[in-house]
Amino acid sequence: MRVLAFDTAMPACSVAVVECGGAGAEILAHRFEPRARGHAEVLMDQIAETMSDAGVGYSDLDRLAVTTGPGTFTGVRIGVAAARGMALGTGLPLVGVTTLEALAAAGAGLTGGSVAAAIDARRGEVYVQCFSNDLTPLSEPCVVTPADAADVLRGHTPLIVGTGARIMRDVCGEAAGFTFDAAAPELSDACHVACRGAVKPSDGPPPSPFYLRAPDAKLPQRKDG
Amino acid sequence: MSAQTKFPQSENRPLVVLGIESSCDETAAAIVRRDALGNGEILSNEVRSQDAAHAPYGGVVPEIAARAHVEHLDRIVARALMNASLGLDGVDAISATAGPGLIGGIIAGLMTAKGLALVTGKPFVAVNHLEGHALTARLTDGIAFPYLLLLVSGGHTQLLIVENVGQYTRLGTTLDDALGEAFDKTAKLLGLGYPGGPAVEREAASGDRNAISLPRPLMGQDDCNFSFSGLKTAVLHAVNRTHRDDPDLRADICAAFQEAAADCLRDRTGRAMTRFEARHNDLETPVLVVAGGVAANTRLREVLNNLCQARGYRLCCPPHALCTDNAAMIAWAAAERLAGGAADNLDVMPRARWPLDPDAEAVPGAGVKA
Ligand SMILES: Nc1ncnc2c1ncn2[C@@H]1O[C@H](COP(=O)(O)OP(=O)(O)OP(=O)(O)O)[C@@H](O)[C@H]1O
Repeated sequence: MRVLAFDTAMPACSVAVVECGGAGAEILAHRFEPRARGHAEVLMDQIAETMSDAGVGYSDLDRLAVTTGPGTFTGVRIGVAAARGMALGTGLPLVGVTTLEALAAAGAGLTGGSVAAAIDARRGEVYVQCFSNDLTPLSEPCVVTPADAADVLRGHTPLIVGTGARIMRDVCGEAAGFTFDAAAPELSDACHVACRGAVKPSDGPPPSPFYLRAPDAKLPQRKDG
Repeated sequence: MSAQTKFPQSENRPLVVLGIESSCDETAAAIVRRDALGNGEILSNEVRSQDAAHAPYGGVVPEIAARAHVEHLDRIVARALMNASLGLDGVDAISATAGPGLIGGIIAGLMTAKGLALVTGKPFVAVNHLEGHALTARLTDGIAFPYLLLLVSGGHTQLLIVENVGQYTRLGTTLDDALGEAFDKTAKLLGLGYPGGPAVEREAASGDRNAISLPRPLMGQDDCNFSFSGLKTAVLHAVNRTHRDDPDLRADICAAFQEAAADCLRDRTGRAMTRFEARHNDLETPVLVVAGGVAANTRLREVLNNLCQARGYRLCCPPHALCTDNAAMIAWAAAERLAGGAADNLDVMPRARWPLDPDAEAVPGAGVKA
């Protein structure tokens, strides 16, 4: 199955065209660029260049995959809105993959055991979820303080990957049975988004952003009442 | 500004353009056709309002708006195509609002459009939302350049000369609140709910506009600027002096507020007419176009109509649905730009702020409203 995938949910912009098959995955073309902002400007050129590197057109693809978050609200929307526009324009199936799952997929090769993706969510919190080595979820995705994340992960003794790994190590060290690896990926990458996207059902509703946080909005106080 | 790509436009080609609008709290998509003579036709015009989602907050919450746009854009675009009985292959170009407005929503619409343009290989146009408002009168009434434009919406209050596509001279802008915003704040003070403009107008109908005296900020001044924050404060004082739950008083305050706003519009627009005439003294019947959601107000229209009659102008108010935020105006503005041979690259940046006349004198208080 040939998948075009991209990811703008974290401080990077990545695009990949991957041939995902039974035996493994062949990356036809791939771009990964760390960047804190400007995803909306560069994404289309990145996709066009990656497609041209892969030597394929949109009619040669089997599906599209995009990260749905959690990540920056704006970054998540950039990816999902673009992907849904592209799905409408091509008629290709579109599937969503969480950044947590994409990160865990990247970490699974570094260990034989479970993997936890932890992403710096700012405001003193991390987005966190634990997976088995074959990427079956072992916990629900959540946004919690690093200490609470340690509670969520306790018992699974995972390898921790993602921008939140450093935060977790600072807070709870290796005492809780977690492992850290200097080679562990920090940011999600479109190659893994493609591979995870390839194994998901594509007949559901179009993917929605997965924010994990409610919008910051306060209802006005009623003076009378 | 992004690099412009040349759009190969032969003289006699009609254009069918898809437009997307998401800069505030309406998710909208439309298909518009511009024929070789420059006449416009709306093939479909879909709008999904988010009013209900924002009403409990008494105003638009940017993050809530952005989230809703992403959820609905592709479906609204599909519906616009379906209602125009077209597939994407029947569309010549894709366009979207790239600013000014709430950046989260703009990004959602812009990326949807970019994605569509990328995979279809069709030309892409990033439209200034204000240019959409400014050119609507050409879509609906075929108005010729140049004309005078009064743009009165929830986000803007400006007087501009529309010289040509992409060519605007700003004569005046608000120094603080937009007029629609002032209507909304007045409604909020009186507990009338959101959006406030129509509610204030309804209340005003049974009120006495002379019962309360309110200021007319900047009236009589030599420039063409507006200011409504003082008016809003005066309304606040009037409310505090009385009891906002007294329906008669509420109606009187609304009527007085609306009349003060009308007087300001008349005075400021009159001055803009003088400037417009000085610049274009060869027009047989000059035209004043009124656009933006506030143009729906019957009393304000009446006052402007009287002004136009006195000054020998033709007044053009596009229909309400095309005065408030909509995507037909975006598709139309894109068609007008394409007809001139201009299109944009897909690296266009979304812009919270994007003045129509970048050369206009800075107005410190106006912020994004300039
Ligand atoms: N009958 C009316 N009288 C006065 N104001 C009105 C009336 N109807 C609508 N409005 C006002 O018009 C505004 C909405 O107009 P519109 O949708 O054009 O503006 P916007 O989207 O807020 O701003 P912009 O187009 O500048 O981004 C609101 O402030 C609303 O209160």
